[in-house]
Amino acid sequence: MSATPDPAPPAAGSAAPPTRHTARWVAIGVLVIAAGLIAVLATRSPASVAEVQSPLVGHQAPTVGGVTVDGHLFALPRAPGAFVVLNYFASWCAPCQQEGPELVEFAFQHQQPGDAQLVSVVFDDTTAAARSYQATLGATWPTLADPKGALALSYGVRAPPSTFLIAPDGRVVAYIVAPVTAADLDALIARAKAAGA
Amino acid sequence: MSRRHVPVWTLLGVVLVVALLIGSGAFFSPPPTNAQRAAAIESVIRCPSCEDLSVAVSSAPTAVTVRATVTRLVDEGTGDQQIKDFLVARYGSAIVLDPPASGWSILVWVLPVVVGVGAALMLVAVLVRRRRRGDSDLDADVRGASVDPAVLDERRRFLTQSLADADAEYLAGDLSDADYLSLRQRDLGRLASLVATTSPAGAAATTTTTGAAATTTTTTTGALAIAEADGGAAPATGASPTPRHRGRNRWFLIGAVVCFAAALVAAVPAFTSNRLPGQTATGSVSLGPSQQLARSLEQAAAVENAGQLGQAAQLYQSILSTHPDNAVALAQLGWLEYRIGTAGSSASLIADARAKLDQAATLAPTDYAAHLYLGTILLDHDGDATGAADQFLLFLAAEPPATVLAQAAPTLRTAFTQAGQPVPTGVPAG
Repeated sequence: MSATPDPAPPAAGSAAPPTRHTARWVAIGVLVIAAGLIAVLATRSPASVAEVQSPLVGHQAPTVGGVTVDGHLFALPRAPGAFVVLNYFASWCAPCQQEGPELVEFAFQHQQPGDAQLVSVVFDDTTAAARSYQATLGATWPTLADPKGALALSYGVRAPPSTFLIAPDGRVVAYIVAPVTAADLDALIARAKAAGA
Repeated sequence: MSRRHVPVWTLLGVVLVVALLIGSGAFFSPPPTNAQRAAAIESVIRCPSCEDLSVAVSSAPTAVTVRATVTRLVDEGTGDQQIKDFLVARYGSAIVLDPPASGWSILVWVLPVVVGVGAALMLVAVLVRRRRRGDSDLDADVRGASVDPAVLDERRRFLTQSLADADAEYLAGDLSDADYLSLRQRDLGRLASLVATTSPAGAAATTTTTGAAATTTTTTTGALAIAEADGGAAPATGASPTPRHRGRNRWFLIGAVVCFAAALVAAVPAFTSNRLPGQTATGSVSLGPSQQLARSLEQAAAVENAGQLGQAAQLYQSILSTHPDNAVALAQLGWLEYRIGTAGSSASLIADARAKLDQAATLAPTDYAAHLYLGTILLDHDGDATGAADQFLLFLAAEPPATVLAQAAPTLRTAFTQAGQPVPTGVPAG
């Protein structure tokens, strides 16, 4: 940098070099950056649902269909006509085991025809293990096997549990990467309804 | 960086550019095959379920799916960019390892170039200024013991030329008043030192010195005249940088720091504005390879403890597919295979189990698990109490946890008793 002092001593008659304040200014700069970061991060509000951005949110939901773990064919209509909770899970995943009873509770609360519907998709697990897990849990909703991970890829799922909320018109309205509770799902549906979904 | 080196530098630069062009294959490269295209795309796509690994090098199921999809799309004739867009539309822009050259991410691409070009320009400026001022070693030479008349003559010519250059530059308007004054003052000071050094030297030197001294007198007068014309006294500085330069440099520095701070403060909200409630400020929590391994082992152990032997075996198998030398997974899988093998009376499975346990014991001789399992198999399956006792001694030497020891104690006592050996003191009494 240009701040490098000339290695030659000052010629005759030169004054003492003035004091440099580089360190002070650098320190002030660092302080400004730190203060800015603290201000930005400290003013963000935490909340309970770990909702994250997905490029799918706001767009038409990719096709959901295939063979269930029980061997039945299942396909979600392009416009399902009711809210659909699409849940990716694995039997080996501890957070999925944590949210399992909540999903059962949600399904129980929304068992009326035309009410919100639950659909599970197996993520990175064997069909047999997933079937046994869902049976133990008492899951009454369709669980799609996804042996080649095609459904996971079409929704950009990275890890279980991942949950998508699909509006009656077929748009994806929320994406949650964390164990959900029945209350979380109800709140998300209420929010989507308020937004006109 | 003297003037006569310029052709050499130019030549080197040309050679470098040509070599880079040839090496990059820009001239002669056949169109890539589908496999090469797929490989190239896979190398820039991030594995969805791991951090900072491309799908090309990851064996995670999500990466396998992405690879299969890329291969299929390439075979279908989809363009590279369309394939990337297809994945970005599902996973978001973070699925591409290279940040996009748009929005705030463009800073990642632009800043290094700007900084690099800036640094190069500053370097050139410093070199040019230094050359204009004359070689900085000159002072040292002038003051030093070098009294070689040829060297001193060369220095003198250089200084005289430097003064003439400064005059010309000042007249051409390339030098500020202050710079011109300080340059003159410094060079004149050096000339004076030179005169002082060479005074006792030979007659030839003396003649030149006189000439130089005469120049000194006139130019000093000229400098003072300029200073007066400028409406102020000549600045009392000799060494660079001049006060005006120094002040300007400081403002540059302050400006740079403030700009950097402002850019960062502006960039942080832009980057984090997508962060929704509950999302961590630094993005998702990612596990390192060793943490992932530890978590996989925990999961497998939990499944195993829950009695799902087949599922647990599958998990250990998947750990071994990425960590073939993991002694814990080898030992546990061996033990599972033995249990499944004995339940189904499968000799081949039991043989396979032994091979895994032997391998685990070789890989980690101080790990207790493999020795416990091997001893148990020797005792229960082979009825070889002596062999079992040997393994159990190794098991005890590996200092197993108290709970494991308590569980294993009855088997250990049986083995040592059947082998006719005293039960070691470490084994708890039943």
